[in-house]
Amino acid sequence: MGYLREFTKGIIKENPTYVQVLGMCPTLAVTTSAMNGLGMGLATLSVLTMSNVVVSLVRKFIPQKIRIPAYIVVIASFVTMVDLLMHGFTYELWKTLGLFIPLIVVNCIILGRAEAFASKNNILASFLDGLGMGVGFTLSLLLLGSVRELLGNGTIFGYRIWAKDYSIFIMILPPGAFIVLGLLAGFFNSISLKFKGSKKG
Amino acid sequence: MGEILKTALILTLVTLIAGIGLGLIYAMVKKPIEKAELNAKLKAIREVLIDPESGKLMVDDSELPKSLSELENKIWRSDESGIVCNCRKFKAKVYSPVYRFKGLNGEEIFILTGSSPGYGGDVVVMASFVKKADGMFENAIEILDYSQETPGLGARISESEVKKRFYGVPFSAFKKSEGLKVNKDAGVMPKDKREEIEKLKRDGVIQTSDIMTGATITPRAVVNTLNCMFEWLGKVEGVK
Repeated sequence: MGYLREFTKGIIKENPTYVQVLGMCPTLAVTTSAMNGLGMGLATLSVLTMSNVVVSLVRKFIPQKIRIPAYIVVIASFVTMVDLLMHGFTYELWKTLGLFIPLIVVNCIILGRAEAFASKNNILASFLDGLGMGVGFTLSLLLLGSVRELLGNGTIFGYRIWAKDYSIFIMILPPGAFIVLGLLAGFFNSISLKFKGSKKG
Repeated sequence: MGEILKTALILTLVTLIAGIGLGLIYAMVKKPIEKAELNAKLKAIREVLIDPESGKLMVDDSELPKSLSELENKIWRSDESGIVCNCRKFKAKVYSPVYRFKGLNGEEIFILTGSSPGYGGDVVVMASFVKKADGMFENAIEILDYSQETPGLGARISESEVKKRFYGVPFSAFKKSEGLKVNKDAGVMPKDKREEIEKLKRDGVIQTSDIMTGATITPRAVVNTLNCMFEWLGKVEGVK
């Protein structure tokens, strides 16, 4: 039960994007389409899970003073590995996300989870925490990407939902990212407020 | 003192392990990466060797390179610097190598790769040129890199509907107006009919503004790259 909660908390209750508001750089930049959002989410998920496991594994050997540089080395190594693997095996996706893959290094979710969770918990809990946060991040990006692609281009994953004439072009541009993110964050927070309210009442 | 040494040693160890791990992964994926890059290039070459009018390949199937060595056999001109022509006037470059293929009727087909700055970075274009009796004729283009262009605006340059607007430009059109232009720069209002758009093309005006939501920077980069290619081909081949 305890372990299950480590996994599920990242998806809704402590959702990295809408609740913790972490990792805004890739969130705003790559979510121009559902596919890009999903690809970036999955890349982050794999890096987050692997780095959480390794950080948890070495947490007893790393002195307090150098923990941040050591974690960054671990994270940067995994990001480079993901970048190389994507370049070799998923060429098309790598071309679209190319610029943002190295930026996963500076995504604060990853260092945040390493510092706040993995350095204090055992391997299994850290693995589940990374996986849960990664899934939460992926779903957030997928939702944001789908909404922006639908509003801006009338498609989801390239499938046409309504005619191009109805598309609101600004939704694909940076202002659209802020608008959709703000509205979705507001929506999720209002749901959680209502939920808390009914619990108290 | 011992404390500092221990800290330094641990950090060294961490970076060492990370370095070895990365080295192993790199050695592992080096081949697949090269293969993926080559496949993307071969696919682009095949695309530009198709005649847009008939939809058929302009070369025999055996002419199509299928491996790196076969591709290298097709190199016509190359330069150690990686660039065969730098056109200041058009702010564009033509990269080395330039490939040459033999068409079904014995005509020469040149494949050039070049780039010019777009909205956020270089827009890389591959184009095929056919040497016909009445002069050089640009056949088709393929956009190799447009990753820095605005999604939904400039990035639509890779859609086939947009690319078609750059197909089939004769050397005379380039000569006539000293360089192709996008319709906005030429001061021409967008036309509706296909024949009118084709006529504009023969006069050296490429129209994309009607199907690219008015985007001008990215198509301008493609047009400038084509101009540089024409300029270079005109110089080395003496095409009139």
